[in-house]
Amino acid sequence: MSDEFEPTIIAFLCNWCSYAGADLAGTSRIHYPPNVKIIRVMCSGRVNPLFLMNALQQGADGVLISGCHPGDCHYLEGNYYSRRRFVLMHRLLEHIGVHPNRVHMSWVSASEGEKFKEVVSEVRDKVKEIGPMNQFGRRQINW
Amino acid sequence: MVDQGELRQKAKEVISREDVRRLIGWKRGTYGFEAAPAVIKDPSEADELVFDPTCVQNPASFVTLEEKPPLPRGVEPDLRKVGVFAKGCDSRALIQQMVEQAYERDHIVVIGIPCRGVIDHRKAEKLFGDVTPDLVEISGDKVVIEIGGEKREVAREDVLMAKCLRCRYPNPLISDVLVGGEVEKFADDDFSDVDEFEKKSPAEKWEFWEKEFSKCIRCYSCRNVCPMCYCPECVVTRLKPQWTRRSVDLSENTSYHIERSWHLAGRCIECMECERVCPMDIPIMTLNRKLTRDVKELFSYEPGTDVEASPLLTSYNPQDPEEYIM
Repeated sequence: MSDEFEPTIIAFLCNWCSYAGADLAGTSRIHYPPNVKIIRVMCSGRVNPLFLMNALQQGADGVLISGCHPGDCHYLEGNYYSRRRFVLMHRLLEHIGVHPNRVHMSWVSASEGEKFKEVVSEVRDKVKEIGPMNQFGRRQINW
Repeated sequence: MVDQGELRQKAKEVISREDVRRLIGWKRGTYGFEAAPAVIKDPSEADELVFDPTCVQNPASFVTLEEKPPLPRGVEPDLRKVGVFAKGCDSRALIQQMVEQAYERDHIVVIGIPCRGVIDHRKAEKLFGDVTPDLVEISGDKVVIEIGGEKREVAREDVLMAKCLRCRYPNPLISDVLVGGEVEKFADDDFSDVDEFEKKSPAEKWEFWEKEFSKCIRCYSCRNVCPMCYCPECVVTRLKPQWTRRSVDLSENTSYHIERSWHLAGRCIECMECERVCPMDIPIMTLNRKLTRDVKELFSYEPGTDVEASPLLTSYNPQDPEEYIM
């Protein structure tokens, strides 16, 4: 094992597009960085911005939210709401001093296995460049 | 200067109405530079009401605060209206509450008061010490403060709240009864303070917030005083799921402040109550101002200006900006 820092990235993927996209990347034997820990949600509109804050608190170095392309949402409009929310949350975190490259959002459809790989690699590279998240991570409390 | 006689007369007229059950306003405080909030139920009490630049507190916070316990069988709920005094900023809070359907327009009677600024007690105490003024009024671009028979004139910047120095809505945006004449708009807001803060690098920003957030004692005053924070159960104190632990440390304080300001995204009407009540002097508005600026810039949305508007985050536009999406 090398001592090089490898970031932990939490990815919230929507069930209908991005999760299927990641699945396609897997079945097509496309190699993508293993840093990403996937959490499947039913829609990108399900992702509460507090999930993101909580992930960073609990030791994630970067967060990726991914959903269907605008107009393709399984629930018709979920990703539109999500887009509004995260653009604000992203800017708020930036204002607090969280590096803007820690939080990413992307649109990946079910047929874009190759794009999923590219997105994840890009996120990994960007987060790796910033280094570990040690701002407001929770300390281990042993009661 | 609002004529106190006219104010009390109009308050009396409103509270005497058959369909009004109580009236929320201000009365003379017992000490310091702040008037106390007053809730009156009877026309005879109207004589204690006042309005001057010490009436800082936002009465809109009290409209949603009322407890509605279950009633005994056979007792009809009291559905009469609530009268509420409103400065320009307070009226925006009322509008935003109605936008979120906290209550209907019929539920309140707004007594609007055009306002030329209110006193920041921190600034005033720095200048005058721990005293109680006999009279505070704004004349021209000076603030006249009378303490112990001695009149002193100070510049507006030295004693008024920061929100008043950039106030764009000195006149109430909604009112059923208006006390005094409307005043002319005297200031404008260019968000230069937000731009200034944004010039810092992420590390410098975090250094600043780390210091501020570690001061927080989590008294939740900022949440309790906020006219927009009226959920029956707050996400911060919720145990399942528990987003923020109760321990007062940097991690949880940061998450509390992110939650609080995030929940005010597109809702904050900048009454600055949170910052005023903070016992640890945390610059809470710096977060809220950033979101207000972004909401205005990205979505051309201004909370609390239009009763017919739909809340920002429960609506969308297919052409919304996608600035950082891959």
